[in-house]
Amino acid sequence: MGMSAQDKMLNVASRLGLTTLKDMQGTTRMVYDSQTTAALTHTFFKGASQRAFPLSNVGANGNQFQVNEALLVEKIGFFIPLSETGVTYQGLNGASVKFDLVIGNKTVIKDATVEFGGEQAFYNDGATASSVIDLEGVGILIPPQVEYYVVAKGFGTGARAAASVRLGCYLFGTGALLNFNTTI
Amino acid sequence: MANQVQKLSYVDNKLGVSLPGQQTTRVIYDSVNAVAAQGFFEFFTNFAGKNEFQTNLTTNKLDSAESMVIKSIQIIGAFGGSPTPATLANHMNLNILVGNQVVVKDFDPSFNSTNRGLAFDRLHSGANLADNIEIRLLTEIVIPPQVNFKATLQLADGANIALNDDITIIFKGYGRIFSAGNSF
Repeated sequence: MGMSAQDKMLNVASRLGLTTLKDMQGTTRMVYDSQTTAALTHTFFKGASQRAFPLSNVGANGNQFQVNEALLVEKIGFFIPLSETGVTYQGLNGASVKFDLVIGNKTVIKDATVEFGGEQAFYNDGATASSVIDLEGVGILIPPQVEYYVVAKGFGTGARAAASVRLGCYLFGTGALLNFNTTI
Repeated sequence: MANQVQKLSYVDNKLGVSLPGQQTTRVIYDSVNAVAAQGFFEFFTNFAGKNEFQTNLTTNKLDSAESMVIKSIQIIGAFGGSPTPATLANHMNLNILVGNQVVVKDFDPSFNSTNRGLAFDRLHSGANLADNIEIRLLTEIVIPPQVNFKATLQLADGANIALNDDITIIFKGYGRIFSAGNSF
C-alpha cells in the first residue's frame, strides 16, 4: 500500500526539521488566487495579500503559510473569472493552461498542463470536462513560511495557440492548521 | 503490488539512476500540424518551429536526472475539414516506443471516445467528446532518463484530415525532475 497524504506531510516535515507539525490539526485545505485582467501570463499567489476576497482567500499572510500550517497539494485547478469583481467564475471553457508550481526557490512542477477535458479518468459520469489536474503519487508539500507561487499561461486546447484570458488558480489538498496544545 | 512511485524507483535503480530528484507530476506533450489527408502521425520526433503549447520538450528524451511513469494518455484533435471533419471517434492505432522497445502496441483509444468510455475499465469513462480522449493505463510505463521515445498514431479517418488540423498527444504521470536537495 502506498504512502498516505498524512504520512507524506509528516515525512517531509520531519526532513525539514518541523518537529511539531505532527501535533497540529489535520484538515482539508484550499487556497486560491485570481486575476481579472486578461493576460497571456499570470503569476498567482505572489502578491495575493493585496487581492482581497473574493479575488483570493490567502489573506494577510499572502503566499506563505504561517507557523505550523502547511498544505499537501493533491489537486491543482484553474478557472476563469467572469467579471472584474471576481465574484462569478466558470471552468476553463475550452481553454487549457500551462503552468509551473514553485515552492521556495525550487520549481516542483514544471511545464505541466491542465488540459480542458482531461482527467476524464477520474470522473465516471462520462459527461464532465474538467479543469483540474490530480497530482500523481501522493502530492507535494508546501511547508510553513516558505513562499510559493504558480506561473500560468492560457492557450487554446485544440490549436495550441496562446490566449489572453482572465484566470484563477486553486490548490487543494490535505492541510495542517495551527493548534495550540496549551493555554495562551 | 507496486504502485507508480515504487515502480519508477525500481526501474530507475535497475538502470543505475540513483539521483533522488524532486518528485512531481509530469506532463509532456507534442502536437502535430497536419497536411491534408494525413493519416499517420509521429509524435516526439520533430520539435522544430513549435511553440511552448505545442510541445514542452526540445528533444525526444528526458534529461539525465529526469524520469517518469506514464499513467494517462490523452489525445486532442482540432479538426476543421469540410464537409466531414475528422474525428477521434473512429478507429485508431496507437503505438508507443521507449528505446527500441514497443511498450504500447496497436492500441485503439477510440473505444474510450464519446460515450463509449467504459470499454477498457469502468472507472475510465470519457467526457462524451469526439475530439478529446483520455486513457488511464492499467500498467505504468516508465520513461527512463536519456532514452529516446516516440508515439505513432494512425487514423482510419485520415482521409478527412484537413490542412492545418492539429493533433496533440499528452503523457501524464508521476515523475522526477532535477533537485539539489530535499524533496517537497
